[in-house]
Amino acid sequence: MTAVDDRPQAASTHEVGRDRRRKEDQRLITGRTKWTDNLVLPGMLHLAMVRSPLAHARITGIDATAAREAPGVIAVLTGEDVKDLQGSLPCAWPITEDQKAPPHPAIAVDRVAFSGEVVAVVAARSSAAARDAAELVDVDYEDLPAALELRASAQDETLAHPDLGTNRSATWVFDSAEAGTGSDVEDAIAEADVVVEREFRQQRLIPAFMEPRSTVVDPTGEQFVMWSATQVPHILRLMLAMTLGVDEGKIRVIAPDVGGGFGGKLQVTPEEIITFLVARHTGKPCKWTETRSESLLSAHHGRDQWQKLTLAAKADGTVTGLKVELLADMGAYLGLVTPGVPILGAFMYNSIYKFPAYHFSCTNVFTNKTWTDAYRGAGRPEATFAIERIMDELALELGRDPMEVREQNWITHEEFPFTTVCGLEYDSGNYEAATERAKELFGYDELRAEQQRRRESGDRVQLGLGISTFTEMCGLAPSRVLGSLNYGAGGWEHASVRMLPTGKVEVITGSSAHGQGHETAWSQIVADQLGVPFEDVEVLHGDTQISHKGLDTYGSRSLVVGGQAVINAAKKVIEKAKPLAAYQLEANVDDLEFSDGKFTVKGAGADQEGVGLAGLALAVFAAHDLPDGMEPSLDADATFDPVNFSFPHGTHLCAMEVDTETGATTMRSYVCVDDIGNVVNPLIVEGQVHGGLVQGIAQALWEEAVYDDQGTLVSGSFVDYTLPTTADTITFVTDRTTSPATSNDLGVKGVGEAGCIASTPAVVNAVLDAIRQFGVKDIVMPCTPERVWRAIQDGTAGAMSETAGAAAGHFAEGEPNQDPPGTGAAPAAGTTQEGGQA
Amino acid sequence: MAMELHHTFTVDAPPEATWALLTDLEQVGGCFPGATVTSATETEFTGNVKVKLGPIGVTYQGEGRFVERDDEAHRAVIEGLGKGLRGLGNASAKVVLQLEPEGSGTKADVATSLNITGKPAQFGRGVMQTVSDKLLGQFVECIEGKLTP
Repeated sequence: MTAVDDRPQAASTHEVGRDRRRKEDQRLITGRTKWTDNLVLPGMLHLAMVRSPLAHARITGIDATAAREAPGVIAVLTGEDVKDLQGSLPCAWPITEDQKAPPHPAIAVDRVAFSGEVVAVVAARSSAAARDAAELVDVDYEDLPAALELRASAQDETLAHPDLGTNRSATWVFDSAEAGTGSDVEDAIAEADVVVEREFRQQRLIPAFMEPRSTVVDPTGEQFVMWSATQVPHILRLMLAMTLGVDEGKIRVIAPDVGGGFGGKLQVTPEEIITFLVARHTGKPCKWTETRSESLLSAHHGRDQWQKLTLAAKADGTVTGLKVELLADMGAYLGLVTPGVPILGAFMYNSIYKFPAYHFSCTNVFTNKTWTDAYRGAGRPEATFAIERIMDELALELGRDPMEVREQNWITHEEFPFTTVCGLEYDSGNYEAATERAKELFGYDELRAEQQRRRESGDRVQLGLGISTFTEMCGLAPSRVLGSLNYGAGGWEHASVRMLPTGKVEVITGSSAHGQGHETAWSQIVADQLGVPFEDVEVLHGDTQISHKGLDTYGSRSLVVGGQAVINAAKKVIEKAKPLAAYQLEANVDDLEFSDGKFTVKGAGADQEGVGLAGLALAVFAAHDLPDGMEPSLDADATFDPVNFSFPHGTHLCAMEVDTETGATTMRSYVCVDDIGNVVNPLIVEGQVHGGLVQGIAQALWEEAVYDDQGTLVSGSFVDYTLPTTADTITFVTDRTTSPATSNDLGVKGVGEAGCIASTPAVVNAVLDAIRQFGVKDIVMPCTPERVWRAIQDGTAGAMSETAGAAAGHFAEGEPNQDPPGTGAAPAAGTTQEGGQA
Repeated sequence: MAMELHHTFTVDAPPEATWALLTDLEQVGGCFPGATVTSATETEFTGNVKVKLGPIGVTYQGEGRFVERDDEAHRAVIEGLGKGLRGLGNASAKVVLQLEPEGSGTKADVATSLNITGKPAQFGRGVMQTVSDKLLGQFVECIEGKLTP
């Protein structure tokens, strides 16, 4: 719409862009499919984990006698039994050379470091027998002091791992002056007319995927076969081999249908290692499936940071520098990419704004809590939240409209491609267009007028408008960039296209769908590339013996990296078929053209029959009559390594109503206009955007993992961890503008995380905008009614206007129980206070 | 979860008699609902207590002892540590007991610092105060029964 895509069209597009219903949904919705927990194998044993109820303790003894003697129990293994076999769970992203980390055992051996850590496993003939017996395992603990609060832990007040000598794992720094990508931020701050310094809290969240984790391992046969509810079967296979010292070729990992992950299944889990070990120990297939409580308690958590930002600007509102100092809570251990999660945000705090100077530092800190790792957006939601919050604070400081201040500072559409102060090259975008459309759909000016009316009339229900003009980097990732960040793997993706003799097509992808609809989208892409019907494309994935190579699904990478690999493989198929087509048409290879599934001879007229790809596939299968020297195969593989990230952006606007008497918030309107480049399937995109919005809104308003002062997770059920449902949300208004990405043939950008990254600050900015007149400066997320109410109370200790005389009779002087005049008076609006630091 | 519980009750018996009963660990234990004292000396006891906290039923097995005991001032400090069976976490308590004469009877003041971990802390925190009030009510009733013939 807003930018011209002048690259040649590779093939006619009949399917790409259609809102196809997802072909996988019939089996997913009807349940006529395979989830890991559905698997039943002959002689299968069931596992139950014994978990520590303490946050930090020495294990002084384990008596498993009663458990071993319980009915149906086959084996009980403790940390002592497996300590020489289990290795240490992998961390693939050591962010610095001198990063400190404790060993990460699957089963704790002599010490537990968080409540929920596995201390023993029971294998029994039924799941019920295993659980009953797990309760009979008698573990003696000697309490150790637990490091719980992030800031105190950063000061080493209590050590999460006494042997490490510190809780600080690593400090990672990016400085634009040192990197040569910008100037010095300290100079910018020293010379600034306006300096805004704020500290924000990213509360701890729980990914809360729909399907609980489940793992089955079959040790019978030549290979160990592991089925697991994972996002990363390929990475899991490699890590199992490296952790357990088993030949990679002897391990097959299958991710059957997987019910959501949101990063929560981007992990190599203790339970996967344990299931493998028990299966090997007993020689029987073993299954472990978690309960929801186990999932909330022990599957990795997300976010959990303190963010300190210092923004320098000129008096006219032009930003001149940004300094970001983070403390990130690792929890008790480093998981697969734990230390890198905050670093994924390092290049995004500058967002869409033209900061000439930038400094980022992050200190990763251990505590005795469940470890954190990737959660939808991983690092970028934190960055977007902080920058979008502080841009509002800057506007407030300047007394200007927050949108106007953003517009003054953002990269204009003529400036693309734009190299940022972090050295990233944003390939395309148009912030003006997305914002204009969003304001139009939202009725921005009208709502501002209503807000003013409500303020003036002292309405009990106040209205606030929140803005988030976000961008993010996704499509993880160029391998060279990952290498420079010390990540342990590349960021390429693999695909194969197989032409079957019947003319049908099998597509094998290294992307590993867990609800995203890849089977549909990949079919659309291949249908266009090869000119075959959508229905004729079968997409296979998630089994390392079928899809032998891949880097799986996370970081909004599937379409922009995996989809491009599919295109490249399809193009190779066409190239391989060309000599045969030329042979059959008795034409020169160079004179052929391919479209709609058919080779024709250039200039031979529209009425020529040509030869179809299906016919060529059959001819290759028979191989009776091929050109001399031609290999009888049209199948092709491709591995694609992206040259750049993908940078979706958008403008999200939110209107919140706040009941100033109760603190209850109601979402009045939510409009988002995202620019995710071209779209393969608008229906799937819509689903991703809606789901992402709700997850981001949930961080703003509802969700938080809460630990008590003993390190017990008290929000360990869906009664206390308030995951929203459709009943809690409103109808969103969504639209798109289009600036095609230049980094892939389709011109697409990742969309899997966009909604979740963008929405949180829009909501919090709106809540604050509604009640700033009470002196409220911040509310720590989630903005529950209690916190909002307290923020209002703390801000003014009363209403913004005088109580009317007639209604205030009981406050009159001389009435009983009145404080002397003055002591109970409300401070003026704007008084500094710790608004809502509940 | 750490919490402070505070209870007072009065019994229709003189402080000396009340003190004698309240420091007899075997008798006191028998009065606590769900508790069984398995052994007791002058200063220490072992036993178990079964409680239901909302949806969670838990048996704590443990021991306790007098940390302080002033027979003149009728003040005692008792510490107890219990291990929850079935892997349900630990509980520890420090109880400060102070008796004062009140009319012809005795007023007892009981301050308890309680630490609980694991599932009972997760699911029981909302009901802890109510449950402890109820248990204490039953406890006092039992003590009174023993003091008033």
